[in-house]
Amino acid sequence: MGKERVQAETVPAERPIYELKEVVKTRASEGYSFRLRVPSLRISPGEKIALIGESGCGKSTLLDMLAFVLQPTSSEHFEFNAGGGEHDIARAWRRRRQNRLAALRRRHLGYVMQTGGLLPYLTVRENINLSRRILGMKDDGTVEALAKELGLHHHLEKRPADLSTGERQRVAIGRALAHRPSIVIADEPTASVDPFAAERIMALFMEMVEERNITVIVASHAWRHIKQLGLRRLAHHTRRSKDGQMAETVVSG
Amino acid sequence: MLFRQWRQTLGLATRDYFHEWQISVCFVLALAAVLGPMMVLFGLKFGIVGTMIDELRENPAKREIRPVGSGHYDRAWIEALAKRPDVAFVVPRVRSIAATLEVGSDRASRILTLEVIPSAKGDPLLPPGTAAPRGLREVVLSASAARKLQVAVGDGLEGSLVRRFQGRKERVQLPLTVVGVAPARSFGRDALFASVQLSEALEDFRDGHAVPALGWRGTPVGERRYTGFRLYARSIYDVAGLEAGFEKGGIEVRTQSADIETVQRMDRTLSAIYWSIALIGLAGFSLSLGASLWANVDRKRRDLSVLRLVGFRTGDIVWFPLVQSLYTAVLGWALAVAIYRAAAWGINLMLAPQLDAAQEVCRLLPEHYLVALGLTVGASVLAAVLAGLRAARVEPSEGLREV
Repeated sequence: MGKERVQAETVPAERPIYELKEVVKTRASEGYSFRLRVPSLRISPGEKIALIGESGCGKSTLLDMLAFVLQPTSSEHFEFNAGGGEHDIARAWRRRRQNRLAALRRRHLGYVMQTGGLLPYLTVRENINLSRRILGMKDDGTVEALAKELGLHHHLEKRPADLSTGERQRVAIGRALAHRPSIVIADEPTASVDPFAAERIMALFMEMVEERNITVIVASHAWRHIKQLGLRRLAHHTRRSKDGQMAETVVSG
Repeated sequence: MLFRQWRQTLGLATRDYFHEWQISVCFVLALAAVLGPMMVLFGLKFGIVGTMIDELRENPAKREIRPVGSGHYDRAWIEALAKRPDVAFVVPRVRSIAATLEVGSDRASRILTLEVIPSAKGDPLLPPGTAAPRGLREVVLSASAARKLQVAVGDGLEGSLVRRFQGRKERVQLPLTVVGVAPARSFGRDALFASVQLSEALEDFRDGHAVPALGWRGTPVGERRYTGFRLYARSIYDVAGLEAGFEKGGIEVRTQSADIETVQRMDRTLSAIYWSIALIGLAGFSLSLGASLWANVDRKRRDLSVLRLVGFRTGDIVWFPLVQSLYTAVLGWALAVAIYRAAAWGINLMLAPQLDAAQEVCRLLPEHYLVALGLTVGASVLAAVLAGLRAARVEPSEGLREV
């Protein structure tokens, strides 16, 4: 896995990990329509990106597209470069190459959801190890080291139901990092935790991705405590039609 | 790589199934609650009708067709009957007054007068393994006759018969060998099974005819006429047809066709009742199984989406509900079998006093269990695959944020 990191580091700076042009996702339901448009987005390896905005502005939509779990309605260009390979995501979607996308997620991506995302029938250890196990990675103490760093080493044999919300989010962070992905996407990872704990978890999370030189994209509705962590904020603005039946969010950066 | 993911999916599905054991138990109970009674129902239908039909089949008396009174039949007519495909066995009978023989043995002091029954190879009253009498010296005894004469297979007997010939009483002796003993359930009375040839010889002697083969003097034999015959239909289902044929030819016969008809009618009625209940039951069973598996996959959609987010392939995801439904199917079937066994045991025990030792009112064959398992697994797999495909078709992101 060390090899992959070296490769990620040697990708020239001008070769972004994500490159999107005119990627659009439209959603319509019950007379209300929502559109997310990304005219242009480049994210370089090792960058820390923040996506700030109130809920419903399309943050999750963008993150899901970046995690290859949501198909864009249309896209002019959607490229993903990691592990020394170039991947045309737009084409993979068009050709319904679901397994190809699953392979990219498995190998290069970590995802921290707002809540849950842990499997209730697995222990903390197994939940963290899931991302490694699916890749067939051998047990090399990574899980224990991560658990220690996340303050979970006493909970390794517990199940998610026996943990507090904050602890569960830390397990989710552990799983997102355990297989040493090139990029971690976190969708409001601390929104369900009390503000004090949220700040600590976020700081710890940032410290850990920085240590591992992992590209990170975080969505949050609170800029306040993100600012001091030195993240690049993506510009976006939302426009609503006068009758309130249409909203469009434009993100670029 | 592919195999590892598949195996991991199976492992996770198993973990989940047993982690949620309360819900799994409910699914298994729901399945067994429908399947168990259906098996009991089928067991009853199969057991009751099966017992009656077995009895009909195994008892040759049910296939017998006996002419009433005495007639005049020639050999060619009897031989033509024997060639019919619906006739299993037929031999001519001589006059009943001439069909007796006094028999004694070295061991018994009594002399028995035995009814002589013409027999041959294939006689339904002689079960497989019992030799048929051949020629003028071999006989088969009924069980009661053998007991009274204290003889077994291979022993010798002394037959003796008397006639009034040319004004004088004449007695001849006839040494015989026991080649077989017919079991009591075949024939209850004292009897001697003899070849047709021997029964004819006895009649000839009594009629004052000569039997050169045995050195008995008398007048030459004219054209032979038989007064009756012993006839067994090929199966119980041929009895009614043969009976109708004889009646049409002016021969009055006695059969067990009324009994057979009753059982057949009962079989049809019970089958109709059973199948209408079974169809309703099967519909209910499929719906309940399908609905619960479908609901389960729906409930699991979020977990399945998480697995896809982590990078499990869509194709492998379908295995997740499939494996779980297989567990439900097999465990539910096993529980249904247990319910059936308990119910069958109780029913058979309750009705044991009214039944023969080997009879069971509620009975299933091993293949019936397998058919039940096959149906259950088939229905489960179908429901799970349909539900699983539906779960796999939605975009992973859609399932993720459902609460």
